[in-house]
Amino acid sequence: MTQIMQARAMCKSYGPVRVLENVDFELDEGEAHVVIGPNGAGKTTLFRCLSGETRIDSGTITLSGSDVTALEGWQRVKSGIGRSFQVARIFGGMSAFENLIIAIETRERNKNGLRFSLRHLAPRKAVLEEAERLIGELGLEHTSDDAAENLSHGDKKRLELAMSLALKPKLLMLDEPTAGMSPSDRAEAVRLISQVRDTYGLTLLLTEHDMEVVFGLATRLTVLHQGVIIASGQPEEVRADSRVREVYLGQH
Amino acid sequence: MIDYRARFRINLAIALCGLAVFAIVPFVANSGLVFLAGLVAINIVFGLCWNFLFSGAGLLSFGHAMFFAAGAYGMAVVSLRMPELPFFLGLAFGSACGALIAMIFGYIALRRASGVYFAVLTLAFSELIHIYITKTTFLGRNDGLVGIPRPTIDLGPWVLDLTSATSYYYFIIVAMTIAAFALWCFQNSPAGRLIQAIRQDPLRTAFLGAGIRGWQLTAFVVSGTIAAFCGAVMVPFTQIASPEIAVWTVSTQPILFTLLGGAGHFWGPAVGAILFGAIAYGTRAMQGLSDITVSVLLLTVVLLIPGGLLGLWQRRRRKAGGRQPGQAGDDARPGTAAGKVEARQ
Repeated sequence: MTQIMQARAMCKSYGPVRVLENVDFELDEGEAHVVIGPNGAGKTTLFRCLSGETRIDSGTITLSGSDVTALEGWQRVKSGIGRSFQVARIFGGMSAFENLIIAIETRERNKNGLRFSLRHLAPRKAVLEEAERLIGELGLEHTSDDAAENLSHGDKKRLELAMSLALKPKLLMLDEPTAGMSPSDRAEAVRLISQVRDTYGLTLLLTEHDMEVVFGLATRLTVLHQGVIIASGQPEEVRADSRVREVYLGQH
Repeated sequence: MIDYRARFRINLAIALCGLAVFAIVPFVANSGLVFLAGLVAINIVFGLCWNFLFSGAGLLSFGHAMFFAAGAYGMAVVSLRMPELPFFLGLAFGSACGALIAMIFGYIALRRASGVYFAVLTLAFSELIHIYITKTTFLGRNDGLVGIPRPTIDLGPWVLDLTSATSYYYFIIVAMTIAAFALWCFQNSPAGRLIQAIRQDPLRTAFLGAGIRGWQLTAFVVSGTIAAFCGAVMVPFTQIASPEIAVWTVSTQPILFTLLGGAGHFWGPAVGAILFGAIAYGTRAMQGLSDITVSVLLLTVVLLIPGGLLGLWQRRRRKAGGRQPGQAGDDARPGTAAGKVEARQ
């Protein structure tokens, strides 16, 4: 299987605090890779480093074979990454529809160059239709005219997912996609995520706390503990690993 | 769903109505008032381009006088030192001066600073430009450049004589209408939408694949160019480019227009600039009364009607009609940006 993302010897510190130490990480095409670990294990930092939100202190990150270590997040997005945030980030002053239009237009601009922005003011017909299709696909029809900041927590998460999908990524990175959701919303979110994974043929990278979500989605599981990867493999193998049980699962 | 066509038509109608109102002024008012109306027309666009940067891109500039002065001096230099060059080349050169300053300064400042630090840097840079003007003999030092002629434009079969104040006044209002509506179009184009998205959440926009700094710089250059265009158009009207137009008080003008009119609306600064001009005219006989009136009014607006006058009007209308927000006509939503203005004042 081809590797879509590969990180070698990543180190990251915030001041004197060493968050990631010599982390090696691979992501195979087509897998749903979930990173788990106790609070403060460095999951979100790992996520931020891989997506390009922060630079790593040393090490290398390659994406589909090319070195992206020095690239900023928005440049990595161009090579096929879409990501969400732990607390959904959306454009609160705009409607869900406008949010999606901006995402689609940004993708088209990156694909077709600046001339995409010229010669017309209103969104092109194809953009409008695609936005409507995404709204329908993710069940956001009822939000049409509301400012996105007034949407419910679950709708905001869905809208953010829709914006990431609008970029047509190869790799979708979701940082705790079910954080703050009720158990029934969680099951629904898991269903939605596996559905879009199948439909779009995506590779997934997730961090997650909730074990039901983890075992519902993961085809591969990596356990991070104090900035070090202590186990990585098939979910069932990792679950059986004695060290993992000790530091993480055993606490539950 | 948003009706983009209706939005376009409504705002074009607003611009043309504004043009029509200003076109009537010379028929009903004396030459002093026409002169003031010409300055108000220029101030409207000056305010609009500042608010485009503030409410559109989320960048607070305390130094828009530098662009205005760059345009004015660029125009003045061309028409005095190179009188053989056509008038439109002077306008283009003035605007290009503003664009160049915006590009250099924006490139430096946006790399390092944001928010208040950015604002303070704009102020500092603007003062630098002011000092440079007062120390440069080529630019007339403290006396400025005087006696700038109004042009006669040769359009092939027609000759446009703009040498009288009234004919130049008509040129101003047409040029300002075009500039204002061009700015509206830019703000409502795909690029303008993206710039507004950056203001709302830079990190999210970056992870849609857009380079934030490049787009912020674009917004800064667009705003600076239009401010410089305003300065360049003004100079043949007043026939003087003095260092006073580079002083920081000039930079505060578009901020005042925006606060009075409402930052959440594209046309807010236009309302503010007209009101400001009316106050200046009403109190012209009393030295200092204008400042007092403006400050009292500003305090009242900021403390009692945070969204500015257009914000108040919109709230009234919404209460009366019970209509949904964001259907037509409103370019930016009120409240959010206006709230920021107060916090920063």
